[in-house]
Amino acid sequence: MQLTAEQEAIRNVVREFAVEEIQPVAEECDANEEFPEEVWDGLAELDLTGLTVPEEYGGFDADPVTYAVVNEAVAYGTLAVATALSVHCLATSCIAEFGDEAQKERWLPEMVSGRPVGAFCLSEPGAGSNPAQMTTTAERVSGPAGDEYVIDGDKQWITNGRRAGVYIVFAKTAPGEITQFVVPGDVDGLSVGEPEEKLGLRASDTTSLTFDDVRIPAENRLTPEGEGLSSALSILTGGRIGIAAQSVGLAQDALDRAVDYAQEREQFDGPIADIQSIRHKLADMHTNTQASRLLVHDAARQKAEGTDGFPTAASMAKYTASETAMDVTNEAVQIHGGYGYTREFDVERLYRDAKILTIYEGTSQIQKTIIARSLLD
Amino acid sequence: MKILVTVKEVAEAEDDFEIDGLDIDERYLEYDLNEWDDYAVEEAVTIAEDGDDVEVVSVTIGPERAEETVRMALAKGVDRAIRVWDDDLESADMLDVGTKADILAAVVEEEDPDLVFSGVQANDDGFGATGVALAEVVDMEWGAVVNDLDLDAEGGVAHVHRELEGGVEELTDIELPAVLTIQTGINEPRYASLRGIRQAQRKPLDVQGLGDLGLDASVLESAVSRTAMFEPESESDVTVFEGGAEEEAGQLADLLRDKGVVEG
Repeated sequence: MQLTAEQEAIRNVVREFAVEEIQPVAEECDANEEFPEEVWDGLAELDLTGLTVPEEYGGFDADPVTYAVVNEAVAYGTLAVATALSVHCLATSCIAEFGDEAQKERWLPEMVSGRPVGAFCLSEPGAGSNPAQMTTTAERVSGPAGDEYVIDGDKQWITNGRRAGVYIVFAKTAPGEITQFVVPGDVDGLSVGEPEEKLGLRASDTTSLTFDDVRIPAENRLTPEGEGLSSALSILTGGRIGIAAQSVGLAQDALDRAVDYAQEREQFDGPIADIQSIRHKLADMHTNTQASRLLVHDAARQKAEGTDGFPTAASMAKYTASETAMDVTNEAVQIHGGYGYTREFDVERLYRDAKILTIYEGTSQIQKTIIARSLLD
Repeated sequence: MKILVTVKEVAEAEDDFEIDGLDIDERYLEYDLNEWDDYAVEEAVTIAEDGDDVEVVSVTIGPERAEETVRMALAKGVDRAIRVWDDDLESADMLDVGTKADILAAVVEEEDPDLVFSGVQANDDGFGATGVALAEVVDMEWGAVVNDLDLDAEGGVAHVHRELEGGVEELTDIELPAVLTIQTGINEPRYASLRGIRQAQRKPLDVQGLGDLGLDASVLESAVSRTAMFEPESESDVTVFEGGAEEEAGQLADLLRDKGVVEG
């Protein structure tokens, strides 16, 4: 699939940034479980933090294919940064799509500049794949400062949990009625939990959040009461293209490292790249990575055209690309042999990072449920 | 004020390559903006951002393929671009310094810039002379290998730092109009922003042939011709230490002593 000249140029610049500025710090950030804030500032200078913000608020308003191209390129640097960026973009998308003029003016121009960072708070300790099971509540009350909502509950797996200055929060305004709010980071009663200790994606800032009698003005409600979940699902369907694209970027990174290593590493009197079993592994990795990329671009094009098949296409892209990232990183470690099992080689980190791709933004099983539904129901 | 920046798309060979006749086999080449020119573009764009009413124009001698590189310079803040190419240039074997200087001089005559920035050298053919030769043709002042620039636009003077051998620096005042050849390290070239890339697609990129510049194919005549290209035989001298860390350290110390790197 042909990219436009603009998309091609964007791909080249972001890829160069990933190689020059992100890859060199990826290992250290993983080891120290620290998010590279200076890299984030660099993303902002490239206009990436305003990727999905309309132009009238200073954003870039990227088309879905460009969004996919950027996500792949950033993940080629490191997944933790790409994840943080895509979650920030989810937050700006929610404000841009559901916020009124005052909320958009208040948040978007600053978020385009990179700070405050956005977070998206849907999951809860007891509500993962089934968000309707959430127990966080938002009760409307009249107070001296006018109408307010009082939010109480716990959120889980919040990317940018500590870094964020603005939270998109889903809560029940009545039984079965989920509503979306925008909550500033400095409100009283909002506390951030300890960082999660994770298998991979360790540079990503993942925490729980507790809302204890958090009061926000009624104007901070983004969707009509009860329409929060359907709106979340529509935004998340688009977000799946981002995660799928990130899977492709991570797989490509692992593949490139495996190709380099196979040509350097010598056994049996020659580079292991001369051995057919290694060559076939690399051929499979390359083919599946490219097939995933094409599914991602197809889903992005369907989103741009607004086709009925877009949600299924997004699920197929996310399912295939994330499972491919798992397979490709697994084989990349195998090609590296014992060295690939050590922290000395980046494929060890890529292998750990890849697993989350098959879990967040809809597990592989949820994606298959969606795909099957489109076939059968 | 107007600044003209000469930019070149250079060919870079992969680690493993083959030579085909008088050049590296096309299959092994990748193209990118000349590293020195990246610094020249950054210097010009910074001056434009800091000053009032500064126009930055880039000029390239190169085929259509070079437009990708030129667009990247536009994305970084160059206002408009000129690309010189036609069938005569396409069929020329080699463009020597004299030819390039004559072509660029014709563009300078047309644009009448106050300053011309050129990279110190190109990292493919490495003549390292185009900027200074251009200054000679258009009869401008020049400064070579500039690693710091303080421009007094109103006074019409460029205060120029030049790095000399042996860790000595020279400060020179050069009256405008002038040609400065820009050294790497003078600044930190930016990445193009996404908005810059979008705007660059709409910025003017004017293609001119030799005839448009009042030149003809005679400008391509050259007293210089490439007669061969080859990879020199390289002698490598590798010593592999074997044993435990302590033994290896001892072997390394012996070697350093033998070579006279350390005494004792």
